[in-house]
Amino acid sequence: MGTFLFNVLAIFTLVTAVGVVVNRNAVNASMCLLLSLVGVAGLFVGLQAYLLAFLLLLVYAGAIVALFLFIVMLLDTKGDARPTLHKLPVAARVLAVGLVGLGVVSFVAQGKLPEPAIGNAPAVGATLKLYAYQLFSTYLLPVQILGFLLLIAMLGVIVLSKRFEGLEDIK
Amino acid sequence: MNLEAVKLAAADNLWSALFPELMLAGLALLLLVLEIVLPKKHHVVIPDVASAGLLGTLIGLFVNWNSSLIGAETFNGLIHHTHQGQMMRAFFMICALLVCQLGRLTLARQLMPKIEFYHIVLVVTAAMMLLAQSNHLLMLFVVLETLTIGLYILVSYHRTSTASLEAGLKYLVMGALSSGILLFGIVLLYGVAGNPALPAHSDNAMYYPELTRFLEGNRDNFVASLGIVLVLVGVGFKIGAFPFQIWVPDVYQGAPTPVTAFLAVASKAAGFAVLMALCGKHGVFAAYQSLTTPVLTVMAAATIIFGNLSALTQHNVKRLIGLSGVSHAGFLLLGVVASATSVLATNAIYFYLFAYLIASFAVFGVMTHLAGADDSDQDLDHYAGLAKDSPFLAGVLAIGLGSLAGIPPLAGFMGKFLVFVAAYQSGARWLLAIAAAGVVVSIFYYFGWIKAAFFETWTPPADGAPTRPARTPVTWVTGFALGFLALASVFFGFYQGPFGQFLTLK
Repeated sequence: MGTFLFNVLAIFTLVTAVGVVVNRNAVNASMCLLLSLVGVAGLFVGLQAYLLAFLLLLVYAGAIVALFLFIVMLLDTKGDARPTLHKLPVAARVLAVGLVGLGVVSFVAQGKLPEPAIGNAPAVGATLKLYAYQLFSTYLLPVQILGFLLLIAMLGVIVLSKRFEGLEDIK
Repeated sequence: MNLEAVKLAAADNLWSALFPELMLAGLALLLLVLEIVLPKKHHVVIPDVASAGLLGTLIGLFVNWNSSLIGAETFNGLIHHTHQGQMMRAFFMICALLVCQLGRLTLARQLMPKIEFYHIVLVVTAAMMLLAQSNHLLMLFVVLETLTIGLYILVSYHRTSTASLEAGLKYLVMGALSSGILLFGIVLLYGVAGNPALPAHSDNAMYYPELTRFLEGNRDNFVASLGIVLVLVGVGFKIGAFPFQIWVPDVYQGAPTPVTAFLAVASKAAGFAVLMALCGKHGVFAAYQSLTTPVLTVMAAATIIFGNLSALTQHNVKRLIGLSGVSHAGFLLLGVVASATSVLATNAIYFYLFAYLIASFAVFGVMTHLAGADDSDQDLDHYAGLAKDSPFLAGVLAIGLGSLAGIPPLAGFMGKFLVFVAAYQSGARWLLAIAAAGVVVSIFYYFGWIKAAFFETWTPPADGAPTRPARTPVTWVTGFALGFLALASVFFGFYQGPFGQFLTLK
């Protein structure tokens, strides 16, 4: 069951990831990215890293891809004609694919993690409850600072984008 | 983690230990409330409230200087209270005070929202103060992001000026890249230090003492070395060290002048506070000095050479001061290299930073008075005849530039002297030779600027239209501030006492 699910999810992730690259329509590419992230989240669930899976869905699929979609729709780009191939980019692509292939092959051939290390590793931070406790006790200060970060980010967006009328009397 | 442990962790969040930062954060919120509550004609008092609050907090910090918490850790090890931290807190608050003062002059020339500027300056200052005291990589990253995001906004604050927006975009892209690199380094360190197969591994590896222990136990781990180099690269971007200085000239030119000052002084000092915590003799990366010292040495040499040579040809004073700031980062890096072996160097770096603060803000203050509506267009030619028109501004400029160039008996000279002595003691001889050559080159371009102000006369272009912006008259408060900075530059050239006493060196 575990292996079957892993295979399905892995193939799903890879196929949709290829879809991100080859799709000429930016909206479709973003949707493929979303599906690919869902696949990765599924893989995390398979590893019992529920929190990580949940955060991935929430942050990447929920927030970031939605942001991409907004921007893609705002810009309303049309897929351009296929660019002509120049020598140097083609060489770079071949080299990149070769290096990635080499990396995968060497990882499969030699990438062995020491077994007992994995067996002994405690699954700290894997539960949502522990995470929440830590967030609001040990790491309360960074949480508060991030509140201020969001505040100035919001102010910045207003300052840099809003049209101000009648600013003459603000001196 | 049971409930008792949670309660214990919560009890360690000693908020009173961070009263200056909390005061600034509260003050920042107060400014926004005042903007809503006060009628528009009373909005002029809001910058005064910001300055008064900053001054009050600074006095509070001095009163509480030898607090019982010095040496202790609070917030579950996130914050480490030290004398160095106290010093940097004062440093950043003085910067913020001066930036607010300069901001008033610059903001008055532009049609744009005013109050948010002070709000963001206060939040960024509080973040820098926390950065100088952070004792945990998570804390480091969170406050670094807060201050960087604040600076993105401040850099592009003149949003009607294309130069400012371009600078903001460049800073955003480079800043995001450097944050990414820094974060990658942190993650590698955290990951490798949490590996149960290695000796001295830790499940709280972002906490500096634990990370130090791990690095001491694994002296040549490849992943840890990679993480350390990436962290150094990330910090190198922030301080504008070669080869990560590409953003400096454009961003410094495009940003409003007070923000340029803030970037040049406070942001750089924040970067060096981090570097000293990481690469000093008792720093986190002390076990990897065979790696960090060569990296920093090469960086320092290249930064000094690049900064000085590229500043030589500049005609826009903001670019000039930006590139000369790169060379100052190089001199400070020389101090960091020396601090790996000698504790004296840490003291020298702090003195250098204060001398740099005093001299830079004197120069930036004069620049703010000479800038026109187009803040990015500040040319050396605009300074022609300054000595005749305004002897006070010209005098302050001469002292500020002289101190930056390192002319005795000004504070900048003593700063360079102390750093060089420390470098000599630590044996970085050839780096010292490069630095000495750099100083000679720097005198050339600083004196070009002084020459423009004192010995050149300005002739309006033939077609009669004056192309030079009108100068802002010196007000009572800014005049006092500039005079004070000039006097301080002279004073600290003769007397360096407090910088030996404030720091208890171990």
